[in-house]
Amino acid sequence: MSSLAGRATTPRASRLTLRQKLGRWDVRYSPYVYIAPFFVLFGLVGLFPLAYTFVVSLNKWDLLQGPGEWIGFDNFRAELADPLFWNSIANTFSIFLISAIPQLIFALIIAAVLDQNLRAKTFWRMSVILPYVVTPVAVALIFSNLFGEKYGLVNNMLQGLGLDPVLWKTDALPGQLAIATMVNWRWTGYNALILLAAMQAVPRDIYESAAIDGAGAARRFFSITIPSIRPTFIFVIITATIGGLQIFTEPKLFDASSSIPGGVFRQYQTTVLYLWDMAFNRGNFGKAAAIAWILFLIIVIIGVVNFLLSRRIASGESARLSRRERKKLEPRS
Amino acid sequence: MIFSRGTKATAAIAAAAALAMVATGCSQSPAADDNGPITLTITTFGTMGLDGLYAQYEKDHPNITIKATNIDTGGNALTDWKTKQAAGNGLPDIQAVEEGWLGQVMGVSDSFVDLRDFGANDIKDRWVPWKLGQATDPKGRIIGYGTDIGPEGLCYNSKLFEAAGLPGDRAGVASLLGGPSATWDKFFEVGKQYHAATGKAWYDQSGFVWNAMVNEQAEGYYTKSGDLNVKDNATLKGLWMQLADAAKSGLSSNQSQWDWGGGKAFTDGSFATFVCPGWMLGVVKGQVEAAGGDNTSGWDFADVFPGGAANWGGSFLTVPTTSKHQKAAAELAAWLTDVPQEVAAFQAAGTFPSVAAAQSDAGVTGPSDLTKFFNDAPVGQILGSRANGVVAQFKGPDDSIIQEQVFGPSVKEIDSGTDGETAWNDALKLLDQLVVNK
Repeated sequence: MSSLAGRATTPRASRLTLRQKLGRWDVRYSPYVYIAPFFVLFGLVGLFPLAYTFVVSLNKWDLLQGPGEWIGFDNFRAELADPLFWNSIANTFSIFLISAIPQLIFALIIAAVLDQNLRAKTFWRMSVILPYVVTPVAVALIFSNLFGEKYGLVNNMLQGLGLDPVLWKTDALPGQLAIATMVNWRWTGYNALILLAAMQAVPRDIYESAAIDGAGAARRFFSITIPSIRPTFIFVIITATIGGLQIFTEPKLFDASSSIPGGVFRQYQTTVLYLWDMAFNRGNFGKAAAIAWILFLIIVIIGVVNFLLSRRIASGESARLSRRERKKLEPRS
Repeated sequence: MIFSRGTKATAAIAAAAALAMVATGCSQSPAADDNGPITLTITTFGTMGLDGLYAQYEKDHPNITIKATNIDTGGNALTDWKTKQAAGNGLPDIQAVEEGWLGQVMGVSDSFVDLRDFGANDIKDRWVPWKLGQATDPKGRIIGYGTDIGPEGLCYNSKLFEAAGLPGDRAGVASLLGGPSATWDKFFEVGKQYHAATGKAWYDQSGFVWNAMVNEQAEGYYTKSGDLNVKDNATLKGLWMQLADAAKSGLSSNQSQWDWGGGKAFTDGSFATFVCPGWMLGVVKGQVEAAGGDNTSGWDFADVFPGGAANWGGSFLTVPTTSKHQKAAAELAAWLTDVPQEVAAFQAAGTFPSVAAAQSDAGVTGPSDLTKFFNDAPVGQILGSRANGVVAQFKGPDDSIIQEQVFGPSVKEIDSGTDGETAWNDALKLLDQLVVNK
């Protein structure tokens, strides 16, 4: 009985013309169609592979023979107990640290220099981005040649100075340094330009008034420039972290003829390279999928930590500002 | 307003439709007809010497276009094949397969066409029997046509030999190392003499020597029945200790394999001997020339090999079942491995024919660019003599992993001065990690 009232509205709605109905649907649904391409593509090349990789990681799965038996989390357990996996994690972080820290410091210095009143500004700015234009493969080939143990330019120069040649491709630390050099060569200029953009946005009158108050160039840099570009700097750190955890091309091609990717003793085998080796040389797709998921979780954790840190820094900044404002107000009251 | 919204909706629908077309478009393909105009794709690697032959085949078969891809190294080609094999998509009509991959290929031999369906039985007597045996899967299906084999002889630098007071001519070198009964003991002993006289290394690095030592055994890393054969293998262990001792005595130049400083190590006297399967002759020539050397650099090729007859590498042409033109592909593969073509490939790249009639062909035994480079050594004849007594060794599924990842680090260790016992134990540890408990 009570449904009668509800039914009464139906004929009224159907009295709308087709044109009106189309108009209504348009308003209601077309926004979803507009955003659909991104989500369809993301689902296709992002979400589905992620989920499928997880399914693969729960199986014994040979690259060529295909899926075997369902073994639950055995692949994860095996990898977490595998010294070669932890070796790759340690290499990843050590290469990341010895590349990211000098890279960001140099990027900051270069950006500060470019921020000055130079002649031929565009030329200098273009120059620092040049290494980024060169493909990583070419970079790796050139650096691999430079760092050759017996015939490389670097060792030739060292020997010319009467020093012992360095075993760039046999010893762990020299190898990692050489790879960090490649990464830095490519990314320093790129980060410098992003930091430069942030520096350009700092109002010039702050610098002027600081100069009038007697602040030197160094003081202005540390007390005005760095605090002002902090959000951009955090962005650069986060992108450098994510990139640093996924280093692949440089160690893969540093010693391209090596029988093991990432050095014959795996001395600079990063986790992504270890994953690739597991999948395509050792043919264990299940374990490779498990490694991919562990790496994914590590990156998520680091991303969250980064996010929390940057939020704290941002809120700390606003707290300081308000304190400063309070101080400004004090003498008046 | 209404007008503009209408266009937006149309655009959105069009975009969605376009996306749907992209998503489904790749599954369409023209019907296969081997008599109409067709394109055959072929993937090879390294220097196989086939590139010059395609044009001739296209000329003889006007309806066929050949699209060839050559991948720089065997290792990269293996990755390429495995990726496409695993994806079940993108494989060419003819896939070149290397001997070292056979363990993995035989695991999925069903995904290669049985060439007996396309006349393999009529031509199978072409090949030396062991080569045909390698290409036959456990069910008796023939899945590959042999291109080359890799009988190993010894490359040596006659100038360096003479400077050290050793004989420089081919016959003299062969008999110095023991002729037909040459042993590794003798090889290392002469190496120590050379090292004492010159202070220089005898061979480039230990990896290729170890490879040769393993390859010339009746059973290598696996037994004939497919069981792992490394731990407690006294023969391999004995050879390993011999090799480690040689490296410790300064006989290894500790070069990086496949790099050799852009070939410079071949011209600056870093080492005097080099392990040379047929296809390696083209590599040596290329390396020497890359470093600015030529036939006056002193490299020669002797009819002797320590430890007896050995084979390293050699390839096959296969037809994956995903091919839409299996018959045409099989015909092309058969043509490419026929006598005149194998002779031409040998002349181009030094790949020694696996077809018996081609081995004795005047084009192989006679002079060529290669013989000119190696001080007029009759390389074809020498390789033919080196091929005598070669037996095919069973290659297990993880053979290349054991070769590269288990023994690779240990080879580098002994070249850098670690003692043989430690390096052997390190290899066994890696064997447990990478192969036994995988």
